[in-house]
Amino acid sequence: MDAPFALEMRDISKRYPGGTLANADVSLDVAAAGVHAIVGENGAGKSTLMKILYGIEQPDSGAILLDGTPVQISSPARAIALGIGMVFQHFSLVPSLSVAENVVLGAEPRRGLVLDLPAALRSVGELAERFGLPVDPAATVGTIPVGQQQRVEILKALYRNAQILILDEPTAVLTPQEVAELFTAIRGLVARGRTVLFIAHKLPEVLAISDAITVMRGGRVVGNLRTADATAEELTRLMVGRDVSLQVARTSHAVGPVVCAIEGVSANNSAQLPAVNDVSFVVRSGEILGIAAVEGNGQSELLEVLSGLRQPTAGRITLGAEDVTGWSVRHLRQAGVASIPEDRLARGLAAEATIAENMVAERIDRPPLVNRGILDWSAIRRAATELVNAYGVRTSSVQVPVDTLSGGNMQKVVIARELSSQPKLLLAAQPTRGIDIGATEFVWQSLIQARNRGAAIILTSADLTELLALADRIIVLSKGRLVAAFPDPANLTPEDLGTYMLGAREQPAAERAMAS
Amino acid sequence: MSRWPEWAFEVLRTVLALVVALIITFIIVLVVSAEPGEAFAALLGGPLGSPRTIGVWLDDVAKLTLAGLALSLVFQARLFALGAQGQAYLGGLAAGVIALSSLGQSWLSIPLGLVAAAVTGAAYGWIPGIIKARFGANEIVSTLMLNYIAIDVFAWLIRTRISPPGSGLTRSDPFPESAVYPTLIPRTRIDLGIVIAIIAVIAIWFYLYRTKRGFELRMVGFNPRFAEYAGINVPRTIVRTMAVSGAIGGILGAVFVQGSAYGELAVGFEGLITFEGILVAIVARNRPLIVPVAALFYGYLRQGAVLMGLRSDVPTEMIGIIQGVVILLVASAGLYGWLRASQANRAPDTDSDPDAPQPPIIGGGPLTEQAVR
Repeated sequence: MDAPFALEMRDISKRYPGGTLANADVSLDVAAAGVHAIVGENGAGKSTLMKILYGIEQPDSGAILLDGTPVQISSPARAIALGIGMVFQHFSLVPSLSVAENVVLGAEPRRGLVLDLPAALRSVGELAERFGLPVDPAATVGTIPVGQQQRVEILKALYRNAQILILDEPTAVLTPQEVAELFTAIRGLVARGRTVLFIAHKLPEVLAISDAITVMRGGRVVGNLRTADATAEELTRLMVGRDVSLQVARTSHAVGPVVCAIEGVSANNSAQLPAVNDVSFVVRSGEILGIAAVEGNGQSELLEVLSGLRQPTAGRITLGAEDVTGWSVRHLRQAGVASIPEDRLARGLAAEATIAENMVAERIDRPPLVNRGILDWSAIRRAATELVNAYGVRTSSVQVPVDTLSGGNMQKVVIARELSSQPKLLLAAQPTRGIDIGATEFVWQSLIQARNRGAAIILTSADLTELLALADRIIVLSKGRLVAAFPDPANLTPEDLGTYMLGAREQPAAERAMAS
Repeated sequence: MSRWPEWAFEVLRTVLALVVALIITFIIVLVVSAEPGEAFAALLGGPLGSPRTIGVWLDDVAKLTLAGLALSLVFQARLFALGAQGQAYLGGLAAGVIALSSLGQSWLSIPLGLVAAAVTGAAYGWIPGIIKARFGANEIVSTLMLNYIAIDVFAWLIRTRISPPGSGLTRSDPFPESAVYPTLIPRTRIDLGIVIAIIAVIAIWFYLYRTKRGFELRMVGFNPRFAEYAGINVPRTIVRTMAVSGAIGGILGAVFVQGSAYGELAVGFEGLITFEGILVAIVARNRPLIVPVAALFYGYLRQGAVLMGLRSDVPTEMIGIIQGVVILLVASAGLYGWLRASQANRAPDTDSDPDAPQPPIIGGGPLTEQAVR
């Protein structure tokens, strides 16, 4: 063996007090000045391993070597002193302070007793420039985009002289353009001798940025690959433990009559600013209509309007033959509208309530689960158990709180509930965000089954490959306006959609109207 | 997971808090009393000393239970509404007006008094409910202000309209015997109030866990955004919850004034027991079937402290301090469990290991969340 690895983790084991074996004899060799990706499904043990490396958790056994020297990492402070930095998915920044103040916080250059702000601005500016992380040191953190906030986090680590940088699912919060910028920055870090550990579960990104890949499953390392030799299929098989098909066969299926027609709908966002602007389209029985839009371009508000959570400021919505504009959630649900919300924990589930309660919460206003206002608990349990079995939710009982489930199983609870009502119109907002490949496969199949059964589906997704794989038609929203419509997405590419999403191009009105 | 169920830890924690409170009490008593043994015997054994003291204890338990139920209901919907005090005064007033009218000559004044008190309390609970649902007013502030209004309206009416003219008294004439709850055991305070409290426990349990309205209430408490998305009318549920809780608060007032302990309207009759109901609700973690158990324990200590004040040389100020220590420790133990449970329930993000323990975050529980809203 030539030069020692920048980081070696030897036979790390960690069992949580609850009995979960999070890491079992995990070993990891990370070469200096490279990008080493660690991939695995939720619960595979990646986060635990990184928490051990960053000193948040202590391993039960095993050793950590930096440049060949054994070290004890008893706390995050010790990790920082050893040159290890970590950027969490949820940033820990002070929104009211400037970029420079955030970066130097806790290690400030001082003049006397006070912060030497000019010095801080200067050194942070130099740091940003040296590592190719452009950001205005004087800007207030709360006002800059998420992608830049992430750079501030990276700068924080670099300012403390991190040699090894752990990035925990750094792309989860970014737009495609920001991901590209992040990757440029990562390459810059590596070129300046830094080592990057990249935690991820989106394989195309892993394949694009990393030099080596470690695959984890069930707390163990199941594969070490060089990225050059790896394929997405092989990685998926290692991660999931079986073959997974994310190929959707474009079977011919009958597209039926118009289920829902949206005419000239406008709506405001929560800050009462216009978010949806004069949008018109229809969706038919047996088709998936994809909405492509950069986060915050009105797609969330539009789906909230259609589900009854938000009142439109103008326009008309018809469901079947009925004008349902302004109807309440309950009435729309009774009329056959179901929705998979964007944020499952905040919207789609009551985490502390039981699985059974979550499964039936939208049906407790009518028999057979309720008679004259009294709940029929045996019927509720029976209904919930049927859904748990039908959708393969892994749980011992429907009487336990839903938050005892894993992320993918929680998603299944939402989908089971929403599809069990056999909806005429299904609104699916980012249905696979944050879930792993096995669960994604399940969600896709569920959507396609619902479509083949005759449901009309409106799908939004930040993942353009998902839209292109599932949607029968695609419309594009930009700044709340419908700017393009594609009746046949078979030959579209993400780049085609991207130019419309960013508002750089717009179809002629006649073409849009015909296709939407 | 672990072999011990979570409720066992909760019981253990509460018992431990009680033991620590008793140790501190013992130290205080040792310092201030010349006869610590007797003082301590009064504290721990006093309430069981005679049928009369047992009666006083159980009468307290009935009232603590009703207060705890009223508060559990709003707490389960994560509304920090503290209006039970005002509801009790106005509910008591309504029951008293009936008892002092010609209806008081008939036993009908007892059920009518209950109904009048429940309706009045519900109306007084509805007010902060509707202003929260319509205008988003913080229910802590509105209910506390409404308490002051109710207390002073009650006192003013007693002094100027209801007390015997020219007497300068702060209480009404005694109710006719037919308008006072019959005692179940003669020469004790054990009366109809205890039966009413037991019925209320069962009714509230049924409402919360067996009816559609209770289901909606609990979903709003778990996650209002989820409730809204599932088609539950959240503002209406909030108003309804505050009104139902108000009805219990009103009934508490009727049980006070028509109970054998009073049998009259008197300024300050409630004696801040509704605030001790907060403690009962917290220790019972808002579960209606546990509320009477918590009330039994707390009521016993409360009565023991009073008897220690009466029967030993421990100064009355010390009694207040000891009660404060007990409340502080037991309530913290209850709150700790509550916060921890809500913390554990904050489900881990999809990116982290679902089984990984969550770091404790101070101040993330339902109470504080509600407080900042």
